[in-house]
Amino acid sequence: MGEWIRFWIVAVILTAGILCFVLETVGIFRFGYVLNRMHAAGIGDTMGLLLIVLSLMIASGWSFDTGKLLLLIIFMWLTSPTSTHFLSMVEINTNPDIGSHVRKMRTDPDQDRGSV
Amino acid sequence: MKETFRSWINGETDPIEELLDSWEESDPDREERKSLSKERIRTFMEQPGELSAVRQIRNRYTRIYYIVAVLSCIFLSVVLLYTVSLMPGLGKVNPRATEVSDRYIEKGVEETGAVNAVAGMILDYRAFDTLGESHVLFTALICVMILLRIDRKNQRTGYEDYYTIRNDIYYDLSGDPILRTMGRALLPCILIYGIYILLNGQNSPGGGFSGGAVIGAGLILFSAAFGMKAADRFLNMKTCSVITFVSLAFYSFAKGYVFFIGANGLENPIPKGTPGAIFSGGMILPLDIAVGCVVSITMFGFYSLFRRGSIGMDVNYDSFSKKERKAGGEET
Repeated sequence: MGEWIRFWIVAVILTAGILCFVLETVGIFRFGYVLNRMHAAGIGDTMGLLLIVLSLMIASGWSFDTGKLLLLIIFMWLTSPTSTHFLSMVEINTNPDIGSHVRKMRTDPDQDRGSV
Repeated sequence: MKETFRSWINGETDPIEELLDSWEESDPDREERKSLSKERIRTFMEQPGELSAVRQIRNRYTRIYYIVAVLSCIFLSVVLLYTVSLMPGLGKVNPRATEVSDRYIEKGVEETGAVNAVAGMILDYRAFDTLGESHVLFTALICVMILLRIDRKNQRTGYEDYYTIRNDIYYDLSGDPILRTMGRALLPCILIYGIYILLNGQNSPGGGFSGGAVIGAGLILFSAAFGMKAADRFLNMKTCSVITFVSLAFYSFAKGYVFFIGANGLENPIPKGTPGAIFSGGMILPLDIAVGCVVSITMFGFYSLFRRGSIGMDVNYDSFSKKERKAGGEET
């Protein structure tokens, strides 16, 4: 009975994680602009990775491998936002018509209140 | 249409010239040097005796070059085709095909002392092949250095100095707090993991190439996160050449010694150790370290050469502030 419950928990979480990756793939191919694509890719990199590795942790039981999988989540969650940050920075700094895609936020609120 | 195409072929016009937003910036020093060298070649060629003498030598040797090239090509193709004709036909049973792999699987641990069969293969049975691979990496680094290195001997002008340093400052990510924090948190883990892969190559998947790649990636992250100047403190051109040379020379001598002993039927004095321990596998561990050093230095060298044209501080940072003011005045 216990094994059966564990199997169903693993199956549900794993399916949710795979669904996240499917959403990510569809988004990467359907969106046209690079920042939108990065937004779509972020779904799989954070939620999909978490759900799949969590299900694997439950499936493998309490052992040394659980810690290794936890380290995998931590490492990916630290590195992928950093690289995403630089990708978006390059896009914003080098695209000449960035204004047609995104609305730049001004830091000074009094300067252009009402416009844009 | 046809005339446009013809003029494009002849290099007179460029139809998409207006579409590209690239431009050439003038470098007066380099232009001056180019015209000087052209002038020198022209005055040399205009002297009465010189050109005919050069042509005579060239004619005499070009014929021999052609004949030798054709002969060596024919010789190589005959040798290769003969080798192919000795191979078993398509669909026939090849009795020799499994001989070597069976031996590796059955006696690999006993003969090399390495639990990881791949490490035993590439660094013991086929160490000569791995030596060639390390030299390929070394040669690639040398070629990139020949093409991209900018120093004083390579006709470096003050303009290039100025642009190298300006790009260094403009593309510098080291001031970014996110990258800096992440580098501080992750660098020790990355380097320790790379060293673990490197040292544990004979017991688990890994070894020199993969461990060296991880360490090289760590070095690149270090130089991106903490600035090129911080990396210059411990890695410059001289350190890189010394590390690469010592690794390759050690590899060659160690493996040459083992080959010499094996060819003469002597007993190998290097202990194999118990399989599974960290000091096991005879020469595999030191050779792994040598290969890892070469791979990591090659990776970092590629990054550094493509980024700024040198490993370490070759550019003249002292003259920067003066030139910056000068060039800034010109631009505005």
